[in-house]
Amino acid sequence: MLKKGKLRGRKITPRGILIYILLSIWAITTIYPFFWVIVNSFRQKKLIRSDSFSLPMGVSFTFDNYQTAFSRVDILGAYKNSLIISCSVTVIVLILAALAAYGMARYTFRGKEILRGLIIASMMFPAFSTIIPVFRMMFGWNIVNTESVGLSQLSVILPQIAGNLSFAIVVLMGYMRSIPIELEEAAYLEGYNIYQIIFKIIVPLAKPSFATVAIFTFLWSYNDLFTQMFFLRFKNTFTITRLLNEITSIAGVNYGLMAAAVVLVVVPVLLVYIGLQKNIIKGLTTGALKG
Amino acid sequence: MQLLRSKNNISPQKTIKLEKFLIESGDGATVLRLYLKEGASMNSVIYKRKTPLLVLLIPAFLFMTLFLYYPFVMNIFNSFTKITGLGTSGEGYNTPWYANYVHLLDDPLMRTSLKNTLLLMLATLVFQVGIALLLALMVDSIRKGTQFFRTVYFFPIVISATALGLLFNLIFLYNGGMINQLLEKLGSGAIDWKDGTHYLFTMFFPVMWQYVGFYFVILVTGLNNISRDIYEAAEIDGASGLGRIRYITLPLLRNVLCVCLTLAITGALKVFDLPWIMMGSGMPLDKSWLTGTYMYHQTFSMGDVDYGSTIGIVIVVLGVVVSQIANRIFKEKDY
Amino acid sequence: MKKVIALVLALTVCGSLVLGCQNTTKTSVTDTTAAGPATTKATTAETTAAAGPAKITVVTSYGGDDGNRANYETAVAAYEKATGNTVNDASGTSNEEWKAKIMADFETGAEPDVLFYFNGADANDLVNNKKVVSIDTIRAAYPDFASNMKDDLIPASPADGQKYAVPVNGYWEALYVNKSVLEACGVKVPGADYTWTQFLTDCETIKAKGYTPIACSLAEVPHYWFEYSIFNHDTVATHATLPASSTDTAGKAWVAGLNDIKTLFDKGYFPTNTLTSTDAETFQLMADNKAAFAIDGSWKIGWFQENAADINDFTVTYVPAQNERKATDLIGGLSMGYYITEKAWNDPAKREACVKFVEAMTKDDVVSLFGATAVTALKNGTTAPADADSLTIAALAMTKSATGVAPAVQDKLNQTARTELFSGSIKNIVTGSLDTAKAIDAALAIKE
Repeated sequence: MLKKGKLRGRKITPRGILIYILLSIWAITTIYPFFWVIVNSFRQKKLIRSDSFSLPMGVSFTFDNYQTAFSRVDILGAYKNSLIISCSVTVIVLILAALAAYGMARYTFRGKEILRGLIIASMMFPAFSTIIPVFRMMFGWNIVNTESVGLSQLSVILPQIAGNLSFAIVVLMGYMRSIPIELEEAAYLEGYNIYQIIFKIIVPLAKPSFATVAIFTFLWSYNDLFTQMFFLRFKNTFTITRLLNEITSIAGVNYGLMAAAVVLVVVPVLLVYIGLQKNIIKGLTTGALKG
Repeated sequence: MQLLRSKNNISPQKTIKLEKFLIESGDGATVLRLYLKEGASMNSVIYKRKTPLLVLLIPAFLFMTLFLYYPFVMNIFNSFTKITGLGTSGEGYNTPWYANYVHLLDDPLMRTSLKNTLLLMLATLVFQVGIALLLALMVDSIRKGTQFFRTVYFFPIVISATALGLLFNLIFLYNGGMINQLLEKLGSGAIDWKDGTHYLFTMFFPVMWQYVGFYFVILVTGLNNISRDIYEAAEIDGASGLGRIRYITLPLLRNVLCVCLTLAITGALKVFDLPWIMMGSGMPLDKSWLTGTYMYHQTFSMGDVDYGSTIGIVIVVLGVVVSQIANRIFKEKDY
Repeated sequence: MKKVIALVLALTVCGSLVLGCQNTTKTSVTDTTAAGPATTKATTAETTAAAGPAKITVVTSYGGDDGNRANYETAVAAYEKATGNTVNDASGTSNEEWKAKIMADFETGAEPDVLFYFNGADANDLVNNKKVVSIDTIRAAYPDFASNMKDDLIPASPADGQKYAVPVNGYWEALYVNKSVLEACGVKVPGADYTWTQFLTDCETIKAKGYTPIACSLAEVPHYWFEYSIFNHDTVATHATLPASSTDTAGKAWVAGLNDIKTLFDKGYFPTNTLTSTDAETFQLMADNKAAFAIDGSWKIGWFQENAADINDFTVTYVPAQNERKATDLIGGLSMGYYITEKAWNDPAKREACVKFVEAMTKDDVVSLFGATAVTALKNGTTAPADADSLTIAALAMTKSATGVAPAVQDKLNQTARTELFSGSIKNIVTGSLDTAKAIDAALAIKE
């Protein structure tokens, strides 16, 4: 009697067509810049400023930009560094933020509003106002400016965790408060303790939310040029973003290299997103009240 | 509501109560209210004991205190001292110690940046969150192609601001940019997109466009969290498409929308990359400053680090105040 | 499934971090000095043999996208091969963040052993806090240090008048000219006798023919027109004096110079969107054969080599002169140099390695490679590469026939004052909303 899943019939309505048209228009605007960057990464750098909107055919097509990128610097090593740093940050942020968000969402206690205000405040701290004291502190712990790749990575991971925690907590709080409390009550009546409730009920339910927070945390840690520039000094510790920023510059001339660099930086993130996105979609078929 | 009973160990008594109300009322809104009323209040018995709370909160807050709060407090000190270069230590206190704050009040550029930032906050809400909401609702309602749209709407956020800045600069370029080329072909003259009349549009448009995808993904996840069952129940009771959106989707999205509100406010106050690349140094003629770009300018270009710290503190205070006000107006609900 | 992957990932990451930590904890146990781990290798080297291979940390601005990056890396490799020492290179591109990082490093004791940095007001903090060693001190132990340089051309620090940094290649600023545009307008390419009045007439002709006379972004880079306009009201000897106010001799030159820029703006010789464009945009006008003149520095030769359709369309010559200045008087100088830090100097194992490094990087042939056309302090001068293009040859001819070189007076301003003047005031001066003398006084009032 109840049709699971399909709310709309299979018929094509004018409304349906309109929706598809609108969605496609927006899709074109979002695809075009990406397409533009890829196209220009194959164009000779001289021509980019003067003629960037046509397709590079014949003479203007070139692999030079990619060749320069790969030969000048150690790209694979940089990818490895980026992945290690960004994955660690994402995993740790998820764990810590999930716990904290759960605590903030469900419990009431004195000072909760103040704590909430503090979290929101910390979202607003600009990166360069906190970087110097953090640098000093970590230098005191002997983890900055060392030759060890692992320690250099650690010196980037720690501040990045802190920086992303506030965003993660705020977003996860929002999602968790929307989970109806019945299930937890039912579980409690069955004799579960808090930790079992967290792992057996909340976590499975909040998987899409975790995936969303994960992708943004990964992305911001990956693209966070400022922290990386400050703490990564030696070439073998560079992340891909830092590395490619090093070989291109805003005021620089080499737009071809820059376009190639952008493509090289973007590819892993998109892969991670597509992978995680399957998790976001899973939510569609899993109702909130299923066990 | 057979689903409820079989999948969970909710007592039969409870389920019967629910069913009864559902059958009696035909109005979609009433279904919702009653259904939710069954939810226990936050002072549920599970959460009376507070000891697990410490375990939950301490790790995260430890990180944040060490790496965020403590440095920021140092920043507050900095705003009272005289610092000439990022990285050098303070050279004694300003005379008088609150000099930076007085400067803040006199500074016409600060006023411009505050005005522009408030405009940006409004624009962000209406356009970024608004368009994202529409897109999320639309994508949620179609069957085919959702994965494609989800992937593609995410693209702008992934591309670095440098590349986007280059693209938009090339689009809006005075000499031979894409738009001006089109205008010249159509016969009207080239427009300087960064001059006094057009700068606001040229600065806002790329920033708006870039982050729609961000709110889109957050809202889509929020929409997914709403169970299909509720929609089905409402459809049985005869709620129309728009009615469903109004009475079910939006209220249940309320928490997520509140989060988006907070993020929009903080985003507008902090945004820096794209505006700086497109309209560096407040061009034209110091009209387009935003709090984020102005603070960067003071700290790095001018080297007036203590004043930059002061602006940073203003940003934080403003952010907390505005978001608290916003949260009071759009009160979050617990379910 | 995702959780499992995440867990595995986390464990691998933690595992690799722990392994990474292991390495450094071992070495830090042997670290007896208070300095950071970077010097532990040096300590162990010290105990083995005083002249054993050393490891030095070097920071320069020849990283990233600098035109001389490849030359730098070759020179470093040659040094390593010749001496057996290793160089830990943490060079970057010169920008504000790079400067901030270096200052932060000195503050926290994490500074490098050899530093290539500005020798003007930007390095005052280093000199005042005795973080760097003066050339005289180095010469007391190594008499031949920097002996291939003319001493009076090695710039002294404005903080105490002593010399600290050994220069490599300097810079000059001059007038780049698009010959094909001039030809289309019937204007002669300027020479050593170019006057301001001639320049104004030429600009009028060029404008009438529909081209942009001057390619300059007043919004982003008014620096060079600023420098030369003022130069046109003083002399080589007096140019580098910072005025105390807008009313003394130097100050009056500043007022007159800035008013000249305003005149050029009012006559419409700058691009229409000069107040909103970027430097890259306006320079593209030169490459697109839409503009005729641009003042820029020696580093811009590389830009022309990359972007000009035909390099022979361009040449570089003298900026038009007024009053006492001759057109052949150039702005130029040596703004950066190699410093040896106190930290490295006091470390017996590193001292020799650092001295040898600086000497290797400032040898005659290395300097010639870095900047043949630029101003240098070399006693023997530079030699041009054999395959130089027409622009390089023109630049060489220009610098060889220069009658005087004055350093840029803007380097004497502190950063805040400089940014206030260029980024804040100039646009208001040219549009008439700010009085020139007032703007200058306001900028001069900003003290460090």
